[in-house]
Amino acid sequence: MKSWQCLVCGWIYDEEHGWPEEGIAAGTRWQDIPDDWSCPDCGAAKADFEMIEITRA
Amino acid sequence: MVVIGNGIAGSTAALTLRAEGYRGSIVLIGQEPDAPYRRPPLSKGFLRGEMAAQSLRLYTSDTWTRLDIKLLTSTTVAAIDTRRRTVDLGTRAPLPYDRLLLATGAYPRPWPSAHRLAGVHTLRTLGQARALSRQLTPGARLLVIGAGMIGLEVAACARVRDCQVTVIEAAPHPLAHLLPAEVSAPLTALHRARGVGLHTFVHLQDLSAGDNGVLTATDRSGRSWEADVVVVATGTRANAELAGEAGLAVDDGIVVDRYCATSEPGIFAAGDVTSQPDALLGGHRRIEQWANAQEHGVVAALNMLGKPMAHVPLPWCWTDQFGTKVQICGWPLAADRTRLSGDVDARDFTATFHREGLLIGAVCFNRPAQFRDLRHQITLTLPAVDGDGPG
Repeated sequence: MKSWQCLVCGWIYDEEHGWPEEGIAAGTRWQDIPDDWSCPDCGAAKADFEMIEITRA
Repeated sequence: MVVIGNGIAGSTAALTLRAEGYRGSIVLIGQEPDAPYRRPPLSKGFLRGEMAAQSLRLYTSDTWTRLDIKLLTSTTVAAIDTRRRTVDLGTRAPLPYDRLLLATGAYPRPWPSAHRLAGVHTLRTLGQARALSRQLTPGARLLVIGAGMIGLEVAACARVRDCQVTVIEAAPHPLAHLLPAEVSAPLTALHRARGVGLHTFVHLQDLSAGDNGVLTATDRSGRSWEADVVVVATGTRANAELAGEAGLAVDDGIVVDRYCATSEPGIFAAGDVTSQPDALLGGHRRIEQWANAQEHGVVAALNMLGKPMAHVPLPWCWTDQFGTKVQICGWPLAADRTRLSGDVDARDFTATFHREGLLIGAVCFNRPAQFRDLRHQITLTLPAVDGDGPG
């Protein structure tokens, strides 16, 4: 399980928790999220904004 | 390399210096006690009580030691000596610099007589957000002065927390500095539908506290509003005093060219503190937006390293109020024609702004994918910058 961070606003997508608010189930991998999905915080698009893989502290 | 200001512009610049291969010393100085954090949620998720302060942190705590960047928090710069090229930190020995970046941001304009009144807040920092958040208890009467972006966001957060919320605004409609009335109207309607008392054309004259701690705001016509908590959200001023005292050109903000250069050799500036060239309209202006400050920080670092790169900013920002996501880019107020498409009442629509046939701005309500495309299109219409580098 990995986490990905929006480089615009810093919002973090955590594969382990998913994003149930928008129907993305816990455990959904980043590559399985639709390309037209966008950052729940700033609206940056998945395709447009680089997301970085972050390591767990 | 010394960077004053550890907000998004300064911290991005410090990281970019390292990422670009600079191996010398980097000192990043911040006035606040906190390591760099995300400001946008302070008036959104954090103030709604949905996010912990911990989740606002921008980088992992080992980032600075790992990259050998010296982060000084709770540190105020007393002066800049441009002749000796040193930064005076007061109690510490003067810090020498080869290149200096000023990324000192902006601060909310206080209400002249009210900054010492208990219950009167401004919102910019995590500390201020915490203090305000503690007072947003159910039933509390909140008065927001100013229906700009921060004012509306605070109002929406407070309604979600069951406060009684009133917003007063001097302009004819909310977000008047950003949007024409027809485009801000759906947001105004949303606030009213959710129980926010929104009054425009209100020219506040006095704000005072009674013996019982109740705050009273009175306008020129004698109307008054009582409140337990007041948020003053009437725009910001650039934190440019330090630059001005050091002799740098300051006009509203620190004046920079497209290459982040100030009037003083070796000193650069980036982010909300700057007055920078407007990519479309000419002249200089401040852009008080997160994304601009982030990009400006990258460009400043490159120029500090002698790698000329122009910053041609397309202003853009986002907000999130009562579950509605609004994204704004470009120059909506400079348009000669506006086109609306979609369902305005359902807050599912796009407004595009045109000037002499060119697309110069866009606003999307709950349409992030479309916004991305429009923003990209507008970037393509911006005038190209000649590649000669700084003059």
